[in-house]
Amino acid sequence: MKNKTFNFLLFFFLGFIIVFFLILIIELFGYLNFTTTKNLNFSRIFWSIRLTITTATISSLIATFFAIPIGYLLSRYSFPLKNFISSLLYLPIIISPIALGAMLLIFFNTPIGTFFEKYFFRVVFEVPAIVFAQFVIIIGMCINLTKSVFDYINPEYENISKTLGATSFQTFFYITLPMAKKGIISAFLLTWARAMGEFGATVTLAGATTFKTETLPVAIYLSFASAEISTGITFILITLFIGMTILIILHSLNNKLFYDKNT
Amino acid sequence: MRTPIKQILIFTFILPMILYGKPQKKELNFFCGSAVKVPMEEIIQKYQQKTGVKINVIYGGSGTLLSQIELSKKGDVYLAGSPDYIIIGENKKLLIKNTDKIVSYLVPAIIVPKNNPKNINSLQDLGKENVRIGIGNPETVCLGLYSAELLEYNNLLEKVMSNIVVFAKSCEDTAMLVVLNKVDAIIGWDVFETWNPNEVKWIKLTEPEIPRISYIPIAIPIFVKEKKLAQDFINYILSKEGQDVFKRWGYISKADEALKFAPKATIGGEYKLPKKFYDILKNK
Repeated sequence: MKNKTFNFLLFFFLGFIIVFFLILIIELFGYLNFTTTKNLNFSRIFWSIRLTITTATISSLIATFFAIPIGYLLSRYSFPLKNFISSLLYLPIIISPIALGAMLLIFFNTPIGTFFEKYFFRVVFEVPAIVFAQFVIIIGMCINLTKSVFDYINPEYENISKTLGATSFQTFFYITLPMAKKGIISAFLLTWARAMGEFGATVTLAGATTFKTETLPVAIYLSFASAEISTGITFILITLFIGMTILIILHSLNNKLFYDKNT
Repeated sequence: MRTPIKQILIFTFILPMILYGKPQKKELNFFCGSAVKVPMEEIIQKYQQKTGVKINVIYGGSGTLLSQIELSKKGDVYLAGSPDYIIIGENKKLLIKNTDKIVSYLVPAIIVPKNNPKNINSLQDLGKENVRIGIGNPETVCLGLYSAELLEYNNLLEKVMSNIVVFAKSCEDTAMLVVLNKVDAIIGWDVFETWNPNEVKWIKLTEPEIPRISYIPIAIPIFVKEKKLAQDFINYILSKEGQDVFKRWGYISKADEALKFAPKATIGGEYKLPKKFYDILKNK
């Protein structure tokens, strides 16, 4: 009986949030007005979708690439000022995205920023600005997620590997990383989803230029900014559909991989 | 350890009651276009002191504010950056017809960084090689729409569009582009200089270059709770006291003053983006 109550409570909390989210989505349909949305330009929507998925994928891949060694370092090693450094990584979470976007704009006015733009490629107001803004927004979150993945792997496995003669590199690539794989993929997925919805820093650093830097969140903003609610809602539903579909597919693939490995 | 129940109670219940519990007599929800944020803050403060009415002001882009009014079904006073949004609001049945009044006139200008690095002195100069231009997004920002109109009117749309590197999402964002030295010039309103006098300066357009003088209208949404109160606030903004504040910030309050900049220009009206605009964007 007590178990039943416990399970009921668990599902109650889940149900509460799910019902709330479903209401949020369902109510949108009430504002859809096909007489105004039929003017939607489909080639433009596809253009935005492609831009959003491409930039979010690139930025979250780069973020994961950085987050794996940094997360591992923070999980396993202690060094001076570690607390300060770990807290600094929360910078993008503490500061609002628009403020961060402004900081990035200013950064590209500094000698390092201007040097980079002169000798490598232009960032500000160009497509790389979207990737850059998304990367800065998600990197802290990605590092913290990967750090907790490594925290849950017992260092004893690594010690045994090393006592058997494996180098640190071999231990990391053949022991730790395979064990962390599922967690790292989950971290990647979460950061990818966050990157896909990124708006504030992107719009500040990359602008809201039609057919250039108009990602889905920017398109949603622009629709509301021109009082076209129905078009904005169509964009929200498209973003939701794409995001959910990709996340569901990848989650089930990830679970399958993990399940196969353990049977 | 003893739980500090007393302190917890004070912090969770009593303190917020003291801070926020004072019953406000009257209040107005004011959706205000950010093109007038600077003088409006001062006017609101004065009006609140004078009447005791609390003004809950929400600043934003004209279209965003209309969306907020439509979705929240709230709003007592609405101020837009251009008359286009009054027409949209009336068509969407969000604003009470014929309640709109003109608050101030806006004259278009080229705004450059104080040192004017690319030596831009005219509208034609915006088409020079290696010049980076920023404008408001013409589909959503009234200033952006106006910029497109200005360029098309002067047969510069194709030429200058190739130099436009960014569309900003709002009026203030457009101003910030040049304040932060991110572009060599923007098309803005003359008042941008009074917002940031140390960072930017404005280049006057010649009379025949200006097709239309824009203005800032104010109107009453259909969701207004106390129409008389809303009207009283609008009257205050339009009174000499309110207009003096606008004047001090460089805004023009009389039509004939605005027309000095372009005697043949029309006042108000609508402009629709030409198909050519999208073709240029796609082929860029």
